[in-house]
Amino acid sequence: MGTTFTYSEQELVSLLKDRDSKAFSYLYDNYSGALLGVISQIIDDMDLSNDVLQEVFINIWRKIESYDPIKGRLFTWMLNIARNASIDVLRSKSYQNNRNNQEITESFSGGFATMKLDDVGLKKVLSQLKSEHRVLIELAYFKGYTHEEISEIEDIPLGTVKTRIRNALLQLREQLK
Amino acid sequence: MNIQEYISSGIIEAYVLGMASKDERAEFETLCAVHPELRRARDEFEMSLEEAALASAVTPDKSLKSKIFAEIEIESYDQQNAYAEQQVPVIPFETEPQFSTSLRKYMNVAAVILLVGSIAMNLYFFSQYRSYSSKYNELLAQQTNMASNNKALQTKLSQYQQELSLMKDPDMLLVKMQASNVATSPDTASSAMVYYNTRSKQVFLVVNHLPPPTAGKQYQLWAIIDGKPVDAGVFDPKEFMLTMKNISGPQAFAITLEKPGGSSSPEGPMYVLGKV
Repeated sequence: MGTTFTYSEQELVSLLKDRDSKAFSYLYDNYSGALLGVISQIIDDMDLSNDVLQEVFINIWRKIESYDPIKGRLFTWMLNIARNASIDVLRSKSYQNNRNNQEITESFSGGFATMKLDDVGLKKVLSQLKSEHRVLIELAYFKGYTHEEISEIEDIPLGTVKTRIRNALLQLREQLK
Repeated sequence: MNIQEYISSGIIEAYVLGMASKDERAEFETLCAVHPELRRARDEFEMSLEEAALASAVTPDKSLKSKIFAEIEIESYDQQNAYAEQQVPVIPFETEPQFSTSLRKYMNVAAVILLVGSIAMNLYFFSQYRSYSSKYNELLAQQTNMASNNKALQTKLSQYQQELSLMKDPDMLLVKMQASNVATSPDTASSAMVYYNTRSKQVFLVVNHLPPPTAGKQYQLWAIIDGKPVDAGVFDPKEFMLTMKNISGPQAFAITLEKPGGSSSPEGPMYVLGKV
């Protein structure tokens, strides 16, 4: 085709709901990288992250009917699919086992894997938050823990967890502006 | 509720990032419908989040897009077939929609394995067929050979039986002819016998030893009757008993080597002689 073209979000959504593969191709070309950026911050294994991205796009194709524009932008909807899929993998037994093995090897190689991811993307934004907020966002957003779980892990009252996460999110919003 | 306080409470971020509880989400959505400024603030945060994510994009594997498209094309293909199946009561064989893609892959693999297997079996059976076919021809040839051998043996056996029955006959007379009875015999080792049936006058000749006749010559048996040689027939020396001409009242038998077809009276050399 050669010519670059863009869709308005409305057009794109309506074409996707009509199972237009050209629109889906456009969606992939424009958003796969952004989604993989988030996925790979949750799962620090690139091959696995690519697998999750594949699953995410197939789910987008399958579930586009259930996307409701009133509740938010298309990207937000896709981002949540990507995050949920990543956290599911993160919590799967096979990933946990792998992770344990990896941690053993990392203890020898000095943990480069965790370091290199901290300086890109949303995590970069995170790193600029106050440490008490950063930990909570890390646990709540990137690890997918519930407020109750965080309260137990960090040994902080549930109310405090909620307040701190809210504050952290507000800070995050400022960082993103 | 003070909507400005609500906007800056962090609920927008929690909602957009999927970290709000079910109740919070329901409340937020209701308020969004009522307060356009809440909706605007949400849009704003969503846009900034999208921008941040785009800015920190990570390029996926090159093959990933085609993998995804392959998968969704298979899916839409299946859906089309499911639709087609609803429309038409006849289920086309090649588009069975109830098979999952992985099952289909297995079936493809299984079909290939079966095909390869059947080709291998065909080759095996064909080579078996060829080997059995050549063995069969071999056996057939052997069988023919044995049948003809058998026939030859049967002939020999009947000849021997005939000879034996002749010898058993009490009227049968044995006349030994020897080279020692002929001073001028060319071959002193020569000997032959005549079985003479005194009743039926039949003459049978058995050659024990005679040299192969010289070229252009033939042996002839003579009966001596009243001191005169009488032709009893020409012959070629063979292992069997030869049936000669009937003779009445012979006193002796002799063999000479004559011209082919024999002579009316002996001209060639005498090999053997025996008196009755």
